[in-house]
Amino acid sequence: MDEKCSQLWTKLSAALKPEVSADTFKRWFSAVKLTGATADEVTLLVPNNIYQFWIESNHMTALQTAISSVLGGPRAVKFVCAVDTSAGSDAAEPEPGISARAQAAAGRANKTPGLNPRNTFESFVVGPNNEIAHAASLAVAQSPAKTYNPLFIYGGVGLGKTHLMQAIGQYLGARGKSTRVMYLSSELFINEFIDAIQHNNLVKFRKRYRQADLLLIDDIHFLGGKERSQEEFFHTFNTLFDGHKQIVLSSDRPASEIANLEHRLVSRFEWGLTAELQPPDVETRMAILRKKAHTLKIKLRDEIFDFLATRIKTNVRRLEGALMRVASFASLSGKELTHEVVEHLLKDILQEEARRAVTIDQIQRRVAEHFDVRLADMTSKRRPANIAFPRQIAMYLARELTKASLNEIGEAFGGRDHGTVLHACKLVKKRMKEQDKIRQTISFIDSALQR
Amino acid sequence: MKFSVTKEKLLECLQQVQNVVSTRTTLPILSNVLLQTNGREVRLTTTDLDVGVRGSFEANIEKEGATTLPARRLFTIIRELPSSEIQFDVDGKNAASIRSGQSFFKILGLPEEEFPPLPKFDDSKVVTIRQKDLRDGLRKTSYAISTDETRYVLNGVLFSFKDNKLTLVATDGRRLAMLDIDLEFPRSHEADIIVPTKAVTELQRLLTDDGEVRVSVGGSQIAFDLNNSLLVSKLIEGNYPNYRQVIPGEMKERVTLERETFLNSLRRVSLLASDKSNSIKLNFSKNNIDITANTPEVGEAKESLPVAYKGREFSIAFNPEFLMAPLRNLAEDEIFLDLIDEMSPGVIKIQSPFLYVLMPMRISS
Repeated sequence: MDEKCSQLWTKLSAALKPEVSADTFKRWFSAVKLTGATADEVTLLVPNNIYQFWIESNHMTALQTAISSVLGGPRAVKFVCAVDTSAGSDAAEPEPGISARAQAAAGRANKTPGLNPRNTFESFVVGPNNEIAHAASLAVAQSPAKTYNPLFIYGGVGLGKTHLMQAIGQYLGARGKSTRVMYLSSELFINEFIDAIQHNNLVKFRKRYRQADLLLIDDIHFLGGKERSQEEFFHTFNTLFDGHKQIVLSSDRPASEIANLEHRLVSRFEWGLTAELQPPDVETRMAILRKKAHTLKIKLRDEIFDFLATRIKTNVRRLEGALMRVASFASLSGKELTHEVVEHLLKDILQEEARRAVTIDQIQRRVAEHFDVRLADMTSKRRPANIAFPRQIAMYLARELTKASLNEIGEAFGGRDHGTVLHACKLVKKRMKEQDKIRQTISFIDSALQR
Repeated sequence: MKFSVTKEKLLECLQQVQNVVSTRTTLPILSNVLLQTNGREVRLTTTDLDVGVRGSFEANIEKEGATTLPARRLFTIIRELPSSEIQFDVDGKNAASIRSGQSFFKILGLPEEEFPPLPKFDDSKVVTIRQKDLRDGLRKTSYAISTDETRYVLNGVLFSFKDNKLTLVATDGRRLAMLDIDLEFPRSHEADIIVPTKAVTELQRLLTDDGEVRVSVGGSQIAFDLNNSLLVSKLIEGNYPNYRQVIPGEMKERVTLERETFLNSLRRVSLLASDKSNSIKLNFSKNNIDITANTPEVGEAKESLPVAYKGREFSIAFNPEFLMAPLRNLAEDEIFLDLIDEMSPGVIKIQSPFLYVLMPMRISS
């Protein structure tokens, strides 16, 4: 191969000489070596980067002419700088460069911007609702890019998606100093992308993201409908994935339900492990409250904890906010905290919680909307299949999601009796077992109602 | 904090620092300017985390303190104020009340603590340069900086401290500008560093014709201390290419040209250089240069320039923009154009140690 290359270079040189001046040839091409030639690429070894810059800028036409005449067609030209010069030291240098940049950016050493130091694995309360997500995150943090890649975490607001992601980032940031952790929201990704397009900075933008060892993107669902950003992210994703770098994503819904997200992205998101975060059960909520109270050094009576944990169900963030409010009231006013006082303090939150409960009316609207039937048909006596079946689904959902009795449900659906409702429930259950499509439709409506 | 100042002083200082502030930034604090009282002065600081600039102005200080305010907004307000006397009063919540004549403004700021501090240069190497020399040097080289981000080592000016000389170099791969400044510094201070474009642009704004500038290099940062203002910047990491490789050894022909006359001729003829080929041709004959340009289907231009030339007849083509850039930025009346042949680079020189290498364009005959 070596001999072949040097022969080829001799031929190329001969073709090149008439194209450039003697001085140029001596100065720029006499030190060049040809190290490889394939059907579409020629690799040239140059002593240092000034050769590459100068030949690329000034002598490419001449070089291409020579290549075409010798090889019979154009080739892409790749330059490799000899190892002992700047290219080599460049490759070794980005490490201190990045950390110096990060240092100045955050004003403190070795912190990835955007990571909240409070969000660690230690401060995360594990319960049956988030066990899997927690275990998967920990596994990813302990051996990144080995087990679950990408890790896709989804769940409603305030259930700990961001907490888990940041915990992974902090864990890795603290362990290996050389690990480049990038944490950002997809909104920031989009903004920076737009900015890069505007200022023609795409190369810099790509370089920034594609050299991360761990990429954490929060709220990926914002990518929905943003086509160019999706495409850019798609390539970033592939580059990192192919380079065995860990990717962690979070979303408020499963990848397949993100509206206007390209299929190739959906399938990639589902490639690794998908972990769901569900609202915590009452015991977990108690544990969260106690842990939070402990870190904030708040002392409250057990029954207050109990009250908060049973009444605020949907959202951990709200739970912690309520705790803060109660605690600060206690310390500011010095009054004894009774049920009434707490209830009064939290009345807006409690109202909101109560409002979150699903009503039969909402179910009817949602189902009617989904199947494109009139809301009146939910209560009417008409019973062609395209109306009757949605009505039965709505009854089934009412039975599952509300505390209403069979009689009450029947009443709400135009004065039907409890047997009709029971029949509807049984029928729907049966058909859900038989047909995947129906099951999916119902679980879709179900999750839409719960949101 | 509370102080009063004249509009002119404040505006001048704001103009010095406000260009660093980027309008689109991920950290809101970076669009703010830091105001601090310091003895009988008020100091203004801005940064984008890559480049930081600090300026100061004398003021009548009634109460010490510090705050940060949105830079662009502050600047536009101050510029429009009706009277020359301005009173500043900042409360504990970083809300600044600005009074001038009949006008009253209140703008909300952010706490001083959030502002990222400029890096410190404690055990750095310090070299002192006359401001005029550095300003001249940067003016004569910085236009050749590359804007190609893939070649990031070229996105700045090389400051090479060596053999009691500071050599400034800028190149984009098609042309190269180089200039030497004589300086005295110990051998231990020899270094090659690359100062990024933004810092060079801002520095040129700060430099004046009088006084000196203290240059401190520490780690991957550089500071330029100009007594009443300061510029701090990160350096571009990496090795600057071996630029000496580019400079032609021998020359065959030398023409002496009047800079302004040559520039004006080029400017006129280049009006008809085509966008596509974008070249301008110099045809040398005895005691004359014909400068020509033509664009197919548009037209052509030609101008004759009498010069002292006795060499062989030949033609060489250059990118007109690249040829005019040094002529615009030099101040000398006379320049030398050194040439070898139509395919070798041309070199522009002056009496002092300056050099501009420019690659010719291929002439399609």
